Amino acid sequence: MSFEEFQNRARLFVVGALEPDEMAEFEKARHEFGARAEAFIAECYSLSEAFALSLKPAKASDQIKARLMEMVKNRQTD
Amino acid sequence: MEGIQREDAEALSQLYDRYNGILKALVLRVIHNEAEADDLLQEIFMEIWNQAKNFSAEKGKPLGWMVTLARRRAIDGLRKKQAYARAEERLQHETEQQPDAWVHNSTEEEILDGDRRFLIQRVIGVLPPAQQQAIELAFFRGMSQREIAAKTNTPLGTVKTRLELGLKKIYDGLKELRDEL
Repeated sequence: MSFEEFQNRARLFVVGALEPDEMAEFEKARHEFGARAEAFIAECYSLSEAFALSLKPAKASDQIKARLMEMVKNRQTD
Repeated sequence: MEGIQREDAEALSQLYDRYNGILKALVLRVIHNEAEADDLLQEIFMEIWNQAKNFSAEKGKPLGWMVTLARRRAIDGLRKKQAYARAEERLQHETEQQPDAWVHNSTEEEILDGDRRFLIQRVIGVLPPAQQQAIELAFFRGMSQREIAAKTNTPLGTVKTRLELGLKKIYDGLKELRDEL
Protein backbone atom coordinates (compact mmCIF):
# COMPACT_ATOMS: atom_id res chain seq x y z
CA MET A 1 0.00 0.00 0.00
CA SER A 2 1.38 3.42 -0.95
CA PHE A 3 1.42 6.18 1.66
CA GLU A 4 -1.17 8.09 -0.37
CA GLU A 5 -3.48 5.10 -0.21
CA PHE A 6 -2.76 4.77 3.48
CA GLN A 7 -3.79 8.42 3.91
CA ASN A 8 -7.13 7.72 2.20
CA ARG A 9 -7.69 4.72 4.47
CA ALA A 10 -6.66 6.70 7.56
CA ARG A 11 -9.33 9.31 6.89
CA LEU A 12 -11.93 6.55 6.58
CA PHE A 13 -10.58 4.94 9.75
CA VAL A 14 -11.01 8.01 11.97
CA VAL A 15 -14.62 8.53 10.90
CA GLY A 16 -15.39 4.85 11.44
CA ALA A 17 -15.96 4.10 7.75
CA LEU A 18 -13.28 1.49 7.17
CA GLU A 19 -14.74 -1.90 6.26
CA PRO A 20 -13.70 -4.89 8.40
CA ASP A 21 -11.90 -6.49 5.45
CA GLU A 22 -9.87 -3.29 4.93
CA MET A 23 -8.89 -3.04 8.57
CA ALA A 24 -6.22 -5.76 8.57
CA GLU A 25 -4.50 -4.28 5.54
CA PHE A 26 -4.71 -0.83 7.11
CA GLU A 27 -3.21 -2.02 10.40
CA LYS A 28 -0.38 -3.74 8.51
CA ALA A 29 0.41 -0.54 6.60
CA ARG A 30 0.11 1.47 9.81
CA HIS A 31 2.74 -0.74 11.41
CA GLU A 32 5.01 -0.52 8.35
CA PHE A 33 4.81 3.27 8.06
CA GLY A 34 5.37 3.60 11.82
CA ALA A 35 5.70 7.09 13.32
CA ARG A 36 4.79 8.73 10.00
CA ALA A 37 1.51 6.83 10.01
CA GLU A 38 0.72 7.66 13.63
CA ALA A 39 1.40 11.36 13.02
CA PHE A 40 -0.94 11.34 10.04
CA ILE A 41 -3.72 9.53 11.92
CA ALA A 42 -3.43 12.08 14.75
CA GLU A 43 -3.93 14.85 12.18
CA CYS A 44 -6.94 13.05 10.73
CA TYR A 45 -8.84 13.39 13.98
CA SER A 46 -9.37 17.00 12.91
CA LEU A 47 -12.10 15.52 10.71
CA SER A 48 -14.05 14.07 13.64
CA GLU A 49 -13.60 17.33 15.54
CA ALA A 50 -14.85 19.31 12.56
CA PHE A 51 -17.99 17.22 12.15
CA ALA A 52 -18.85 17.75 15.80
CA LEU A 53 -17.99 21.45 15.63
CA SER A 54 -20.15 21.89 12.52
CA LEU A 55 -23.26 21.30 14.67
CA LYS A 56 -24.99 23.95 16.71
CA PRO A 57 -24.16 23.16 20.38
CA ALA A 58 -27.09 21.64 22.29
CA LYS A 59 -27.96 22.45 25.88
CA ALA A 60 -27.76 19.52 28.27
CA SER A 61 -30.20 19.21 31.15
CA ASP A 62 -28.93 21.02 34.25
CA GLN A 63 -29.25 17.80 36.25
CA ILE A 64 -26.70 15.96 34.13
CA LYS A 65 -23.66 17.78 35.46
CA ALA A 66 -24.85 17.49 39.05
CA ARG A 67 -25.40 13.73 38.65
CA LEU A 68 -22.04 13.32 36.93
CA MET A 69 -20.12 15.17 39.65
CA GLU A 70 -21.96 13.20 42.33
CA MET A 71 -20.95 9.93 40.65
CA VAL A 72 -17.32 11.06 40.46
CA LYS A 73 -17.38 12.12 44.10
CA ASN A 74 -18.79 8.72 45.12
CA ARG A 75 -16.18 6.96 43.00
CA GLN A 76 -13.40 8.92 44.73
CA THR A 77 -14.67 8.08 48.22
CA ASP A 78 -15.08 4.34 47.45
CA MET B 1 -7.11 16.51 30.39
CA GLU B 2 -3.98 16.25 32.54
CA GLY B 3 -6.08 17.26 35.54
CA ILE B 4 -8.57 14.50 34.83
CA GLN B 5 -5.73 12.03 34.48
CA ARG B 6 -4.76 13.10 38.03
CA GLU B 7 -8.40 12.45 39.06
CA ASP B 8 -9.07 16.11 39.76
CA ALA B 9 -12.87 16.45 39.78
CA GLU B 10 -12.66 20.21 39.19
CA ALA B 11 -10.86 19.51 35.90
CA LEU B 12 -13.78 17.31 34.83
CA SER B 13 -16.19 20.06 35.82
CA GLN B 14 -14.31 22.54 33.60
CA LEU B 15 -14.12 20.07 30.72
CA TYR B 16 -17.86 19.47 31.02
CA ASP B 17 -18.62 23.19 30.93
CA ARG B 18 -16.46 23.64 27.87
CA TYR B 19 -17.53 20.66 25.77
CA ASN B 20 -20.96 19.43 26.88
CA GLY B 21 -22.77 21.46 24.23
CA ILE B 22 -20.62 20.09 21.41
CA LEU B 23 -20.85 16.49 22.57
CA LYS B 24 -24.59 16.73 23.27
CA ALA B 25 -25.15 18.07 19.74
CA LEU B 26 -23.19 15.15 18.34
CA VAL B 27 -25.10 12.56 20.37
CA LEU B 28 -28.41 14.19 19.54
CA ARG B 29 -27.54 14.13 15.86
CA VAL B 30 -27.01 10.39 16.09
CA ILE B 31 -29.94 9.30 18.25
CA HIS B 32 -32.50 12.09 17.74
CA ASN B 33 -33.90 11.83 21.26
CA GLU B 34 -33.38 14.56 23.85
CA ALA B 35 -33.75 12.43 27.01
CA GLU B 36 -31.63 9.58 25.68
CA ALA B 37 -29.00 12.09 24.57
CA ASP B 38 -28.79 13.52 28.11
CA ASP B 39 -28.41 10.04 29.60
CA LEU B 40 -25.73 9.14 27.10
CA LEU B 41 -23.94 12.44 27.70
CA GLN B 42 -23.62 11.60 31.38
CA GLU B 43 -22.26 8.14 30.52
CA ILE B 44 -19.82 9.65 28.03
CA PHE B 45 -18.36 12.09 30.56
CA MET B 46 -18.10 9.25 33.06
CA GLU B 47 -16.22 7.23 30.46
CA ILE B 48 -13.96 10.21 29.78
CA TRP B 49 -13.22 10.29 33.50
CA ASN B 50 -12.55 6.54 33.61
CA GLN B 51 -10.59 6.32 30.36
CA ALA B 52 -8.58 9.55 30.62
CA LYS B 53 -5.46 7.61 31.51
CA ASN B 54 -5.58 6.08 28.00
CA PHE B 55 -5.52 9.50 26.33
CA SER B 56 -2.20 10.45 24.78
CA ALA B 57 -1.58 13.97 23.49
CA GLU B 58 0.80 12.47 20.94
CA LYS B 59 -2.11 10.72 19.29
CA GLY B 60 -4.24 13.84 18.87
CA LYS B 61 -6.12 16.60 20.63
CA PRO B 62 -8.51 15.93 23.54
CA LEU B 63 -11.56 17.00 21.50
CA GLY B 64 -10.83 14.48 18.74
CA TRP B 65 -10.52 11.73 21.35
CA MET B 66 -13.73 12.77 23.11
CA VAL B 67 -15.67 13.05 19.85
CA THR B 68 -14.54 9.57 18.82
CA LEU B 69 -15.60 8.18 22.18
CA ALA B 70 -18.93 10.03 22.17
CA ARG B 71 -19.76 9.00 18.61
CA ARG B 72 -19.04 5.35 19.37
CA ARG B 73 -21.21 5.44 22.49
CA ALA B 74 -24.02 7.19 20.65
CA ILE B 75 -24.00 4.70 17.78
CA ASP B 76 -23.81 1.79 20.25
CA GLY B 77 -26.75 3.31 22.11
CA LEU B 78 -28.70 3.67 18.91
CA ARG B 79 -28.14 0.03 17.99
CA LYS B 80 -28.71 -1.32 21.50
CA LYS B 81 -32.08 0.29 21.85
CA GLN B 82 -32.99 -0.86 18.37
CA ALA B 83 -34.07 2.66 17.72
CA TYR B 84 -33.10 2.65 14.08
CA ALA B 85 -36.68 2.64 12.89
CA ARG B 86 -37.75 5.42 15.21
CA ALA B 87 -34.66 7.51 14.45
CA GLU B 88 -35.28 6.92 10.76
CA GLU B 89 -38.75 8.39 11.09
CA ARG B 90 -37.52 11.36 13.07
CA LEU B 91 -34.65 11.95 10.68
CA GLN B 92 -37.03 11.78 7.76
CA HIS B 93 -39.29 14.29 9.48
CA GLU B 94 -36.38 16.60 10.27
CA THR B 95 -34.99 16.32 6.76
CA GLU B 96 -38.36 17.29 5.33
CA GLN B 97 -38.48 20.29 7.63
CA GLN B 98 -34.85 21.26 7.07
CA PRO B 99 -33.71 19.79 3.74
CA ASP B 100 -30.09 20.84 4.02
CA ALA B 101 -29.66 19.82 7.64
CA TRP B 102 -25.89 19.82 7.79
CA VAL B 103 -25.49 23.28 6.36
CA HIS B 104 -27.72 25.09 8.79
CA ASN B 105 -28.07 28.06 11.09
CA SER B 106 -25.61 30.20 9.18
CA THR B 107 -26.91 33.60 10.19
CA GLU B 108 -25.53 36.88 8.98
CA GLU B 109 -24.08 37.49 12.43
CA GLU B 110 -22.17 34.21 12.29
CA ILE B 111 -20.78 35.11 8.89
CA LEU B 112 -19.66 38.52 10.11
CA ASP B 113 -18.11 37.01 13.19
CA GLY B 114 -16.18 34.52 11.10
CA ASP B 115 -17.66 31.92 13.38
CA ARG B 116 -15.80 28.61 13.54
CA ARG B 117 -18.94 26.62 12.90
CA PHE B 118 -19.72 28.65 9.82
CA LEU B 119 -16.20 28.17 8.48
CA ILE B 120 -16.39 24.41 8.94
CA GLN B 121 -19.87 24.27 7.43
CA ARG B 122 -18.54 26.20 4.46
CA VAL B 123 -15.79 23.61 3.93
CA ILE B 124 -18.32 20.77 4.14
CA GLY B 125 -20.92 22.65 2.13
CA VAL B 126 -18.84 22.88 -1.05
CA LEU B 127 -18.79 19.10 -1.36
CA PRO B 128 -21.16 17.57 -3.92
CA PRO B 129 -24.37 16.43 -2.16
CA ALA B 130 -23.61 12.74 -2.81
CA GLN B 131 -20.28 13.04 -0.97
CA GLN B 132 -21.91 14.93 1.91
CA GLN B 133 -24.58 12.26 2.17
CA ALA B 134 -22.06 9.40 2.21
CA ILE B 135 -20.04 11.09 4.98
CA GLU B 136 -23.17 11.96 6.95
CA LEU B 137 -24.39 8.35 6.84
CA ALA B 138 -20.98 7.00 7.83
CA PHE B 139 -20.18 9.45 10.62
CA PHE B 140 -23.55 10.33 12.15
CA ARG B 141 -25.39 7.07 11.44
CA GLY B 142 -22.49 4.67 11.89
CA MET B 143 -23.22 2.97 8.58
CA SER B 144 -20.64 0.80 6.86
CA GLN B 145 -19.76 1.37 3.22
CA ARG B 146 -21.92 -1.62 2.31
CA GLU B 147 -24.88 -0.29 4.27
CA ILE B 148 -24.53 3.10 2.58
CA ALA B 149 -24.37 1.41 -0.81
CA ALA B 150 -27.56 -0.52 -0.04
CA LYS B 151 -29.40 2.48 1.39
CA THR B 152 -28.52 4.79 -1.48
CA ASN B 153 -28.72 2.11 -4.16
CA THR B 154 -25.19 2.96 -5.24
CA PRO B 155 -22.32 0.62 -6.19
CA LEU B 156 -19.94 -0.08 -3.30
CA GLY B 157 -16.95 1.25 -5.25
CA THR B 158 -18.76 4.55 -5.84
CA VAL B 159 -19.54 4.90 -2.13
CA LYS B 160 -15.90 4.29 -1.27
CA THR B 161 -14.77 6.88 -3.83
CA ARG B 162 -17.30 9.43 -2.54
CA LEU B 163 -16.12 8.95 1.02
CA GLU B 164 -12.44 9.13 0.12
CA LEU B 165 -12.80 12.20 -2.10
CA GLY B 166 -15.12 13.99 0.32
CA LEU B 167 -12.97 13.36 3.36
CA LYS B 168 -9.82 14.45 1.50
CA LYS B 169 -11.48 17.70 0.43
CA ILE B 170 -12.62 18.41 3.98
CA TYR B 171 -9.22 17.49 5.38
CA ASP B 172 -7.45 19.79 2.90
CA GLY B 173 -10.00 22.56 3.52
CA LEU B 174 -9.49 22.34 7.28
CA LYS B 175 -5.73 22.56 6.81
CA GLU B 176 -6.18 25.79 4.88
CA LEU B 177 -8.39 27.12 7.67
CA ARG B 178 -6.07 26.06 10.48
CA ASP B 179 -5.06 29.61 11.39
CA GLU B 180 -8.66 30.86 11.38
CA LEU B 181 -9.90 27.96 13.48
